[in-house]
Amino acid sequence: MSALLEVSDLNKHFGGLQAVKNVSFSIASGEIVGILGPNGAGKTTLYNLLTGFIPYDSGSVVFKGRNLRGLAPYRIAGLGISRTFQLCRPFIGMSVFENVVVGGLGAHGSDDRSDLDARARQLIEQVGLRGKEKLPVETLSYGDQRRLEIARALAAKPALLLLDEPFAGLGSGEIADLSTLIRSVHADQGLTVMLIEHKLREFMRLVGRVIALDFGEMIAEGSPEDIVRQPAVIEAYIGRGDGEAEEQSDAA
Amino acid sequence: MFVKRIDYAGALGFIAFMAALPLIFGGNYIVGVLTVSVIYGIWAVSWDFMSGLTGRENFGHSLFIGVGAYTAGFLNTSFGLSGWWSLPAAMLMAMLFAVVIGLPTLRLKGPYFALAMLSSAVIMQRLMLIFWEQTGGEEGINGIEPLIRSQLGFYYFALATLAVVTAILLALARSHWGLILRAVRGDEATCQAAGINVTFYKIASLMISAAFAGAGGAIYAHYQLQVSPQLFAVVTSITIITMVYVGGMASIYGPVGGAILLVLLTELLRNFGEWRLMIYSCTLILILFFLPNGLIAPTWRRVKAKLGSPQ
Repeated sequence: MSALLEVSDLNKHFGGLQAVKNVSFSIASGEIVGILGPNGAGKTTLYNLLTGFIPYDSGSVVFKGRNLRGLAPYRIAGLGISRTFQLCRPFIGMSVFENVVVGGLGAHGSDDRSDLDARARQLIEQVGLRGKEKLPVETLSYGDQRRLEIARALAAKPALLLLDEPFAGLGSGEIADLSTLIRSVHADQGLTVMLIEHKLREFMRLVGRVIALDFGEMIAEGSPEDIVRQPAVIEAYIGRGDGEAEEQSDAA
Repeated sequence: MFVKRIDYAGALGFIAFMAALPLIFGGNYIVGVLTVSVIYGIWAVSWDFMSGLTGRENFGHSLFIGVGAYTAGFLNTSFGLSGWWSLPAAMLMAMLFAVVIGLPTLRLKGPYFALAMLSSAVIMQRLMLIFWEQTGGEEGINGIEPLIRSQLGFYYFALATLAVVTAILLALARSHWGLILRAVRGDEATCQAAGINVTFYKIASLMISAAFAGAGGAIYAHYQLQVSPQLFAVVTSITIITMVYVGGMASIYGPVGGAILLVLLTELLRNFGEWRLMIYSCTLILILFFLPNGLIAPTWRRVKAKLGSPQ
């Protein structure tokens, strides 16, 4: 296993807020890695830094041995990093099929546009949107829009897929379907996946390794079983028990 | 396949109809009105390619028209360059303006691109007056040679140009290129996440749009035999945008119909004297109010659905 993505000492602040602080980790080819953390921990910012949507202050991001510093988002996408957005952002005014085709029109997929239509149809079937190819995206249910986002991202033939809360707003049945989908693209194509998610039960079943963030800092890293026992993670999610301490001191 | 054949039949029928009109009605006046309507068609279709598809409304299309017309007029009168050379020169010059203005302004979000284009056209109009010694000021450039001497011949040339321009832009709009431009309209960030160089596509489409607007401007200059700063007027851009709306945004062929319809309507209403503008405006408001997607393109789609479905 070689490192596909190598992040070292990544820093970003917005004014006085340190959104990402000295974050370092590496991801090997073929892994499914989860990013865990409470709201505002810097998870989406981390994605934006990795994909070039926001420039980082210092540190480095190396993907397939190439430093991504200063590259425009479309160039990074062209190198093989695809992402989805926390809020679905389909191409409004276009059909489901057209949305997926556009996903494959970027630099990375430009060498084989001839079979793009066939590939788009296959992806639509794979994510379970068969029969909805011609529908305008606006008419899709939220769950179907999530599936479409993934099909669109896969159309670019990425080496690394970044999913930002793919289960948000979905029912449990839909979550199970989508998990199966993520597992199958991982298994079939050896795709490396990073996943941000708050629905912990599915998240923990899906990922092989977890990176926990809080206030922009990496507080823990490990297997799903380990990570929930780490004091720093429990503290970030449940709190330190200050309230209890105060009550005790009041009583005394 | 059948639907495509209906499209071709419709296009051929339309060209035949436009070509037959002067033969049926005759007279230099009618031919003149038709020529102007066809030139407006070129401007409207070129506006629609960039702005209709990407959703970045260009309120300064008259800039490219004026640049094209002045380039053609200047080269023709000062250097004696024939219209066949001034036409491509006008296209190149308009493309150059598109790059220079597009590069800084197309990065802007929201209404700022529209405002930047609008002010660029206004500034160019003022510059024509300020540098009157070179540009001829209010008078503009006079004594431009006609491209084709026969009125009817000129009309057919303009009609053929419109057909070719529309065919090129339709082919582009229905290719992967057009798909990307429509995606830019849908969501720029997702485009970037898909590896698409959004800035490149926006600028390239503005250049294509400008080139054909400039060609239309040059044809107009060689038709009117003079150019004036009025060409840069904001009203020209607004008229073109109205034509596109009436025709059906982002359909490419719709604006052609919209342009011809509105020019003919303006002429037909001349008999109503001072009521003309009132009737014209009310018609427009009614069309835009009841048919938010336009008149021409949705109607054609309905016709196609009727012809294509019964089995």
